[in-house]
Amino acid sequence: MRHDSAWRVAPYLLPLLLVMLGFYVLPLAGTLGDSLHPNTPAGIDAAHWTLHNYRRIADPLYGGIFLRTLRISVIVTAITALLAYPVAIFVARLRPRLEALAILAYISPWLVNTLVKALGWTLLLRSNGIVNTLLRDAGLIARPLHLMLNETGVVIALIPGHFMFALLPLWTALRGLDPALGWAAGSLGTSPGAVFRRVTLPLTLPALIAGLVINFIMNMTAFAVPMLLGGEGHEVVSMLAYQVNLVLLDWPFGAALAVVLLAITLLLIRVGQGVAARAAGAGAR
Amino acid sequence: MILAVNLFMLVLVLAPIVMVVWMSFTPAAYFALPTAHLSLRWYREALSYPGFVDAFGLSVELATLAAVAAVGSGFLAAYGLARFRPRGAALLAGFFASPLLVPSVVFGIAMLQFVNRLGLYNNLAGLVLAHVVVVVPYAIRTLGVTLRTVPEELEWAAMVLGSSRLRTLLRVTLPLSARGLVTAFLFCFLMSFSEVTMTIFMAGPSLQTLPVRLYTYMSDRIDPTVAAVSSLVVLISLALAIVVDLLGGFRLDRGQAGRAGA
Repeated sequence: MRHDSAWRVAPYLLPLLLVMLGFYVLPLAGTLGDSLHPNTPAGIDAAHWTLHNYRRIADPLYGGIFLRTLRISVIVTAITALLAYPVAIFVARLRPRLEALAILAYISPWLVNTLVKALGWTLLLRSNGIVNTLLRDAGLIARPLHLMLNETGVVIALIPGHFMFALLPLWTALRGLDPALGWAAGSLGTSPGAVFRRVTLPLTLPALIAGLVINFIMNMTAFAVPMLLGGEGHEVVSMLAYQVNLVLLDWPFGAALAVVLLAITLLLIRVGQGVAARAAGAGAR
Repeated sequence: MILAVNLFMLVLVLAPIVMVVWMSFTPAAYFALPTAHLSLRWYREALSYPGFVDAFGLSVELATLAAVAAVGSGFLAAYGLARFRPRGAALLAGFFASPLLVPSVVFGIAMLQFVNRLGLYNNLAGLVLAHVVVVVPYAIRTLGVTLRTVPEELEWAAMVLGSSRLRTLLRVTLPLSARGLVTAFLFCFLMSFSEVTMTIFMAGPSLQTLPVRLYTYMSDRIDPTVAAVSSLVVLISLALAIVVDLLGGFRLDRGQAGRAGA
């Protein structure tokens, strides 16, 4: 019976499976293979195997780019973590119509092309941009602040751009809380702060952690924003990957960069699931 | 305090988008916030620049092809999983959704090297298939929910009355899923139309989609023309998003949206 079912379902699954095996699994596997071959002037030397491309990542030049990428991602995710609860609690308490509008506003950066946001931030942050003009006209600064073409600009633009990845799971978790829990704790004389710490936080922290993991991954692999707002001298890993793959055409090294980024992504998702599960277990106790 | 944090965040979220649209109406030859006079000068400029017009045509073609292929193959797969419930169905569903977890940069590098090996570099077919992979999770998710709302009893009734499974699929299931199919198509179209990073990495010089063309132009210089093009992109994206939302697309997806872009 089971065999019969597997046989009959095959024609329905086959078209998509073929596309995904051919243009998803195969390319990723090919990249893993390429990363283990030496690069030669004639192209990839598929006859030989090496870990050289991975060792190169430890080179101080590239290591520094990895460190900068991590630094920017950690800062953005930390600020997101601080802002997530105030925003999510506020939104979850709004009247339904306003709540829907607020959520739409927070999702909008996800719907609007990254390049449009990068252009907007450029117009706001550059030395003769809106922010500097406003500050100067208000007499707060004499000379324009350096708000972009550095890490500051990248951080400012990434925060709202990836905020919804942390907000949405947290907001969903907050809405799922039984309001009676808060009332019960409150009627027993618990202060609002203690209700948050003892009831709300343990029950919703797993959702926030899951969201922050995605937020961090998005920060770590962002390309257009660091390229246009960071620029030369402030390279992150994705910009290095562009340079290596499309300018230097050193594909084995470029493949190694892709493999490392993917490995970090999968590891973070794994760890995030573990931490979230532990937090959920602690909350249940 | 909590209100102040929210207002601050809303400004951060909306300011860049509002700024681009506002600036696009400037009558000046440089970026100056228009106040007294609004002008469509830069829209005329953008529409007479063949680079952008051609890129827009390519983007629409690419998004249409990718969305049709993703919805077609995604509907069949979602139908197979929902109606036959084969062993490992959960695993397969996870596999179909997994492109969401692969960073665009990583997939872009993998596709760049892959299409070159196949001799498909700078070839529309390669780009379309890559976009299918990127958007298919949205199709599978939307159509999976849709198929759960189509009463299976109606399909059984048709089959008991002698209709073959294929005929039942075409005459009963497909029409009852029409709304979900339209939603999935628009959702996939929107996601393909907005895709930047993966396309920058893998698309060859003659496959410049609108976002890629915008990116190339912006890396070189920034003038009000890009603001006008960007505003049109915002208009199209938001219009598509509103239709998807009205059709219930995001409600199906909202719980998962946090896991989306990665």
